[in-house]
Amino acid sequence: MSTASMILLLMVVGGATYLFRYSMIGLFANRNLPTWLKEMCSYIAPASFAALTVSALFIHGGEVSFALDAPKPWAALIAAVVAWRTGSVFATIGVGMASMYLLKLLF
Amino acid sequence: MATIRATKLSEFLAGCRDEAPLQLGVVPFGMLYAIAALAVGMPAWLAQVSSALVFAGSAQLAIVQMLSAAAGALPIGLTAGLLNLRHVLYSASVAEYVRHLPRRWRLLLAYLLTDEAYAVAILRYQRQASTSPAAIQDARSHQPLPDLRHWYFLGCGFTLWACWQLSTAAGLIFGARIPSDWDIDFAVPLTFLALLTLLLRERASQAAAMAAGLGVLAFAALPYKLGLVAAILMGLLVGFGVAKHKRSRS
Repeated sequence: MSTASMILLLMVVGGATYLFRYSMIGLFANRNLPTWLKEMCSYIAPASFAALTVSALFIHGGEVSFALDAPKPWAALIAAVVAWRTGSVFATIGVGMASMYLLKLLF
Repeated sequence: MATIRATKLSEFLAGCRDEAPLQLGVVPFGMLYAIAALAVGMPAWLAQVSSALVFAGSAQLAIVQMLSAAAGALPIGLTAGLLNLRHVLYSASVAEYVRHLPRRWRLLLAYLLTDEAYAVAILRYQRQASTSPAAIQDARSHQPLPDLRHWYFLGCGFTLWACWQLSTAAGLIFGARIPSDWDIDFAVPLTFLALLTLLLRERASQAAAMAAGLGVLAFAALPYKLGLVAAILMGLLVGFGVAKHKRSRS
């Protein structure tokens, strides 16, 4: 993406984010939020994080690839176990990166 | 008047102090974002400006990851927008506490309304009465002090903002020295993976994540990475469905 499009994109995202943050404080201060919105917000994070993770690991150039000799999916699997057992974001990143480097040497 | 000024300052500093421990988690994220942004070819100045403009960690990381996958502007904007939609909830939650403030205060506090600042400030609003210890002292002179808790909120927001900008800058300086074949941007999906694992306690969240993950594979062929947005929306619907099903059975 060109730098100009990136600037435009970031301005739009920044503007939207600010509007979200200001929305209830400034615009509809006396309205109650509908429950569906509250419920939806609680599923956005798990859905987005899962989609972003799977996409980074298995989609390359618009195509699904489950290559068994690629280091990253295996490193991510090890990292997932660490995340599950420890609940620590930094242990997950550390072990995941270290596994990726080791597997790169092996494959 | 001197008491009011002292109370403002002490509220502000108390906000800074209570927000400080959370920076242990924030600073590495800011650095990681900056390093990953450089790795996908975002100019350093833009990565820094983005930290001030968007000022939301997970959305900034999502933007960087999608840029690295050559996604189009529309899917990136939609994904980042969805990720930041939760701020509407925070906004609603603090609205009643800041309603009495002048507009310039509300505009400023809205800008500072991030996950971490909200988490700390809302505790101050909900747990403690509007009168601080200083105000109780002053009550002997029968002069009630106004609600100054927005200074506490400002302290939280300012601390987080400053740390986010500084850690972005630190990451940019540090990241420029990291060779690109180190694959440092792999840390971004690992971050999402770790955050995801923390969110999977409920059945409905598990279903939402599962559906979104499968959706990404199913919609991979859609242009500009729009499949990612479709997958997230599918995850939301499935999460809804499972929660509704569970409610109707119980």
